[in-house]
Amino acid sequence: MTHPWPVAITGLGCICAAGTNLDACMESLYGGRRAPAPSLRFSSNHPTRFPVFEVPDFSEPPELLRTSALGLHAAREAIADAGVDLETLRSLRVGVCVGTTVGSAMNNEQFCRDYRAGLDPDLAPIERILRSNPAAAIAREFGLTGPCQTVVNACASGTDAVGLAASWIRGGVCDMVIAGGADELGRITYNGFISLMITDDSPCKPFDRERKGLNLGEGAAMLILESEQLRSGRAKNARSFLLGYGSACDAHHLTAPKPDGEGLRYAIAEALSCSDTPAEEIAFVNAHGTGTPDNDRVESRVLADVLPGVPFLSTKGYTGHTLGAAGAIEAAFTVACLERGMVPGNAGFATPDPELGGTPVQGCSKIEGTVALSESLAFGGNNSVILLGKRGTA
Amino acid sequence: MRMAVKGIGVTGGFGTGVADLVAALKSGVSRMDGITVPSAQGPLQLPAFRAATERLEEFAPKRTLRRIDHYSKMGLLGAYLALQDGGLLDSDLSRLGVVVASGYGATATTFAFLDSIIADGDICASPTHFANSVHNSAAANISIMLGAKGPSLTVSQFDMSVPSALVSARQWLAEGRVDAVLFGAIDELSDLIGYLWHRQRGPQSGGSILPLQVDRESSVVGEGAAFLLLTRDDGGKGYCAIDGIETGSLYQGELSLPGDALMLLGADGRSELGARYRAMVPSRSRVACYAPIYGSMPAASGFDLACAALILQGGTAFPITGAAGCDMGGRPVELETERICAVRLAEANEYSAITMSRL
Repeated sequence: MTHPWPVAITGLGCICAAGTNLDACMESLYGGRRAPAPSLRFSSNHPTRFPVFEVPDFSEPPELLRTSALGLHAAREAIADAGVDLETLRSLRVGVCVGTTVGSAMNNEQFCRDYRAGLDPDLAPIERILRSNPAAAIAREFGLTGPCQTVVNACASGTDAVGLAASWIRGGVCDMVIAGGADELGRITYNGFISLMITDDSPCKPFDRERKGLNLGEGAAMLILESEQLRSGRAKNARSFLLGYGSACDAHHLTAPKPDGEGLRYAIAEALSCSDTPAEEIAFVNAHGTGTPDNDRVESRVLADVLPGVPFLSTKGYTGHTLGAAGAIEAAFTVACLERGMVPGNAGFATPDPELGGTPVQGCSKIEGTVALSESLAFGGNNSVILLGKRGTA
Repeated sequence: MRMAVKGIGVTGGFGTGVADLVAALKSGVSRMDGITVPSAQGPLQLPAFRAATERLEEFAPKRTLRRIDHYSKMGLLGAYLALQDGGLLDSDLSRLGVVVASGYGATATTFAFLDSIIADGDICASPTHFANSVHNSAAANISIMLGAKGPSLTVSQFDMSVPSALVSARQWLAEGRVDAVLFGAIDELSDLIGYLWHRQRGPQSGGSILPLQVDRESSVVGEGAAFLLLTRDDGGKGYCAIDGIETGSLYQGELSLPGDALMLLGADGRSELGARYRAMVPSRSRVACYAPIYGSMPAASGFDLACAALILQGGTAFPITGAAGCDMGGRPVELETERICAVRLAEANEYSAITMSRL
């Protein structure tokens, strides 16, 4: 394994139930505010109305899927934060790498209902899907010429997209990459997760003894990653750096994590080793922490083993599980927390679970250090970890 | 960094395995199947290239395959065949990465999940279908069946899925994250995909793709899996090298293509792309195109790369099926070639050019 150099993060953008920009989100997190509620956008004939975290007051244009519209919203904020204008963007080799779960799925319920009923349904919903590949939609909007990649690694997609984008920069594939994740809430994922019986009918409680499952959410976050040559040329300060990335597959089960967390251990080890970072330098871990019994048990035990004593928290109590967007949203939160030197409390946690490897951060807490981990576990056994922060000369 | 193609595993309308693909390429004949789609005039039988997965039982016990859907089975078969071809089937796979590129994912299972809701209501949504409809299900099943615990990536970029995913696969090898990548392209022809193809493209042209007649719609939908076992070029034996991957969007100017290479075009009979190929590819280029052997689908790029690897290993291009009346402006070839550029174009200015050469 070679030791790649840090990749600068010069812009951030975020939209989710916690807020329509990153500053607003962080105010919600530090203020301990969250408002999961039954969906206002779709209905279900399930007897239980499971709470979700919807982005309020956001509507997508008719030609795009909501997922891509959320991604574009976050990308605009990130580009503005990075201080690059459209002309500059178009003069550079700029790539787009975006994680999603539903953003490239060929499924439209009404179309399928009509098809099943023997009608010849209007093709507009399918054409919208074909126009809305999240990475391609961002590239098209800004006239970008670099490679596009929509990562569909289930709930690890956002973390993987950021890690892969950094390798594109290191490899000289791009001068700059807009990297992140985007996903919308809808009936299909709502019913799917309920069918798996891993959804909580009350506000989710990551790492709590009484946790019953996840609440779904929606949103997007984008990070601007750029080469040192470009950044130094335009004298732009980095908000943070992508220091390391690791990923590994459990090769165990389609939907359940491996009980011993083997893949997650590999991923953490790779992220640390490729950046020469000792475990003692980690200020905190932004955990996947969905609130499902299995995830939180496996994840907390691994953290207790490989990063003992390092504070950890889940921010999904504020956002819900935003699936393919989660890793990117949590990466943005991690950078913002490092900048402020403070993490929010793990919303929903009240009672320690003796089966877990530890208890998460309770209440806003100051942190010691400048480096943090953000991790994602996913269906398919995917485990992905990114290491963010500033160290040494970075 | 130069990559080497060490193994090939394919299944598609032409059959299963390298021998079947080579036979079809040499003869210009591939097995045309069909798919029935509903229409206002009643059920229509459309020509289509279907992939069989029976040979999977050579590698895995039947009982372990019971719950695996057709999409993942195609991927598994391609993966096993590529590993076998590359001599790694029974090797330590701890330093193996898995990369899957798919335009549409597990569409039959995705639609089956929707059907479970539509037919029986939200409360009867099928958890099995939901779990298997996730886009990375094939990569997951491959990792589980092989015990491959390295990094895993699935990319869905419609027509650009393969070149896009190849960029990241190359980075994994360049950075030393893995020693080999099992790189696969998969697309599945479900009933609804067939229906959509028919609705978007209208009556089929008698079942023959005429890829170089650029203004004529002649696409025939296909399915299959094409896997390549990739390593860093270590100077050892293999099919060929992958020297460069260029992909992105072109808003102005011309695509820079190597003048000395055979252009292996991704043209597949879709009329809206034909004019772009004609405009992009220099008029005096030597061109080849093999979509008539495996059909039209986003993952066809993977088959293009497999064909390019076979040509470079053998040193001679295969004859082009459906070249009659060629109006591409280029010259179809059956000449020796040292270098191939696999060119693929998609809507909205997207392009890829993958340069490959002999080892």
